[in-house]
Amino acid sequence: MSETAKAAASEAVLDNIETYSPVREFWRRLRKNKLAMASLVFLVGLTLVAIFAPYIAPYDPIDGVMSDSLQKPSSEHWLGTDELGRDILSRIIFGARISLRVGLLAVAIALSVGTVLGSIAGYFGGRIDNIIMRFMDVMLSFPSLLLAIAFMAALGKGVENAVIAISIVTMPEYARIVRGSVLSVKENEYVQAARAIGNKDAAIIFKHIMPNVIAPIIVRGTLGISTAILETAALGFLGLGVQPPDAEWGTMLGAGRSYMFNAPHLVMFPGIAITLTVMAFNLLGDGLRDALDPRLKQ
Amino acid sequence: MRRKTLFLVLAVAVMSLLLAGCGGGDEKAQTSAEKEKVFVFAQGADPRGLDPAYVDDGESAKVMVNIYDNLVRYKPDSTEIEPALATSWEVNEDKTEWTFHLRKDVKFHDGTPFNAEAVKFSIERQLPPNRTDDMPYASFVFGPVKAVEVVDEYTVKIILKEPYAPFLANLAMCMAAPIVSPAAVEKYGDNYIEHPVGTGPFKFVEWKRGQHIQLVANDDYWDGRPKIDKLIFKFVKENSVRASELMTGSIDAMDGVDPNDVKTLEENGMIVAKNPGMNINYLAFFCNKEPFNNPKLRQAVSHAINRDAIVEHLYQGLAQKANGPLPPFLPGYDKDLKPYEYDPEKAKQLLAEAGYPDGLKLTLLTYTNPRPYNTVGQKLAEAIQNDLQKVGIDVEIKAYPWAEYKKVVSPVIVEEGDMMIYGWIGDNGDPDNFLTLLDSEEIVRSLNTAKYSNPEVDRLLEEGRREFDMDKRAEIYSELQQILVKDAPWVFISHATAMTAERPGIENFKLHPTGVIYFHDVDKK
Repeated sequence: MSETAKAAASEAVLDNIETYSPVREFWRRLRKNKLAMASLVFLVGLTLVAIFAPYIAPYDPIDGVMSDSLQKPSSEHWLGTDELGRDILSRIIFGARISLRVGLLAVAIALSVGTVLGSIAGYFGGRIDNIIMRFMDVMLSFPSLLLAIAFMAALGKGVENAVIAISIVTMPEYARIVRGSVLSVKENEYVQAARAIGNKDAAIIFKHIMPNVIAPIIVRGTLGISTAILETAALGFLGLGVQPPDAEWGTMLGAGRSYMFNAPHLVMFPGIAITLTVMAFNLLGDGLRDALDPRLKQ
Repeated sequence: MRRKTLFLVLAVAVMSLLLAGCGGGDEKAQTSAEKEKVFVFAQGADPRGLDPAYVDDGESAKVMVNIYDNLVRYKPDSTEIEPALATSWEVNEDKTEWTFHLRKDVKFHDGTPFNAEAVKFSIERQLPPNRTDDMPYASFVFGPVKAVEVVDEYTVKIILKEPYAPFLANLAMCMAAPIVSPAAVEKYGDNYIEHPVGTGPFKFVEWKRGQHIQLVANDDYWDGRPKIDKLIFKFVKENSVRASELMTGSIDAMDGVDPNDVKTLEENGMIVAKNPGMNINYLAFFCNKEPFNNPKLRQAVSHAINRDAIVEHLYQGLAQKANGPLPPFLPGYDKDLKPYEYDPEKAKQLLAEAGYPDGLKLTLLTYTNPRPYNTVGQKLAEAIQNDLQKVGIDVEIKAYPWAEYKKVVSPVIVEEGDMMIYGWIGDNGDPDNFLTLLDSEEIVRSLNTAKYSNPEVDRLLEEGRREFDMDKRAEIYSELQQILVKDAPWVFISHATAMTAERPGIENFKLHPTGVIYFHDVDKK
């Protein structure tokens, strides 16, 4: 082997070493999971549809033409029309906006509040831990949908309130997961070391502990979006969430149920939209868990 | 070994139970096939009670009309009056003293003889000072009554405070007016509401709450024995479950047919009867506050609502477009009424004239559940929202469950909204019963939901109550309806078609315009 070739080879090795990173490793593992990738593609597509809804939707989702009511799917209305003569495809497209927004927002709120509470409880332990976690246990002991309905009754109907209600009821799960991870991480030598050199508690939590518990939070958050979407739909179905005339999948399902026998497309398409989206988030969440925590898989 | 014995014992026990069950069943089946004609009718809910003085709901009425008789009754398919327990009657010159001659030899189901004392008792327990707050219809039916006098055993005189034209119609009503057995009311006291005793074609047997009420034929009925032997009212909450029970044959007839089930029922050979309903489904503007104290705005909104499309598509043709407050078959209905028709351009123009060239925001109150006059519940509000948005009116819908809704809309000033959806089911077939909903005196009693007050309307209503000649009353009411249609305190939306369904082979099963079914003539092949 010539000198130049040797140098090139060692350079290549160096290149490999330099470009190796946890993120890249994670991406490589995730890419192998075909279901998770398909879900990711579906969700990216759905997000684009939601963002560009006004340009994509063939009709105005809230402008009904009564004389066109309850039409079966046709070339004019791909998914048919509802009882007020509104185009179902357009309503599903606009409904994606609400479902995704509510899902992401609710999870973002629940996750940030839950993470803070969970890490405080886990890090400090003792009485603070007891107060926070017993409170979370009380909330977990109620069926989450029931609790959400109770919050809606207190807050009033509407999307914003649905977001608040859902984030409150899902928060305890995040708090528990974060607390558990913090508990296991905080006894590690590097944390002890950080404390020994005089770091403040907040710095230790956010700089040293948080990066090590981020993986379970991401996984839980992704799965949590699907729960949040389902709960929005359930609240909508019960007439508590999104208010007419706005389109939301659960509300569409609830309104269409009395036409189940003579116009099944009214419930079928919103039902399919909910199922696909929730399934995609679940599969993606599973994929993320496998990719982020290879030990679990083996 | 032990297990084997145990098994044997169990097997014997199960076998004997099965056999016993079979035997009992066979016996029952035999007797009913040979002797008894059982008719099962399904309705949506239990009655509130079976004492006519204390109830106000249709579910109670349907059972009560088959147990009790009134002094007078409606003809089988109209709200015209004919004799019942009273064979004839006369009224004095100034229309304040009504004398009724009673039918002789009639007995209550408990053996108590029917006479003038019984009539006096039935009415007087609903007059002050006996009247209590939980007698919902006492003041409506017997409000004008001053006193009841027994002339002789079979003659009774009812004295009114003032002439009141709808009085005879009130006496035929299924609420408050039926004659009850004085002995039974005494005997059962507060429990009478569950132990009704009347003179009607059927006798009360038992009431299992949430399941059924059983009645048997009254063999001594003065108008001839009913053709069926046993009448069972079964309570099945869900419309669609009732419909499927009808198709499988576990019930013979039902009411409360869901418009969505009509096609399925008919395809399965069931007979769905569609009768014009004595009801009105309307949108009321709150006329006593901004912005709807402005008649122009009321007119604009009336023009913006496409009632034809609502009737044809939302109700799928199972309703009739309303032209005014009265259903067309009621006496006094003016067939020349011209309500504001759908015309979005005109609506926009009127909106501008009313001072809202750029549209406005309004709040519409609605109930969420289906009602007999509005089978789609909240969707009516959504359809109206959809119509109004096209002329630039932004509507926010506030929906409440029925029980809560009544509370929200009853104050004199309703803070929550600008207009509301409501309806009315006629009680006695008299036009006054509908038109009184716009009497300014009814604002405080919350019947006048639009809080509409017009001295001219009040005057004509009063005149109509004092006039006994139906032709002259019709003239008065015609003028009244013209004013209402022009002034538009309501958008007159529709009259829902009343529907019942029955299995083939049933005779004389008919829904009366008042929403009840008289089972006296019903027969089953």
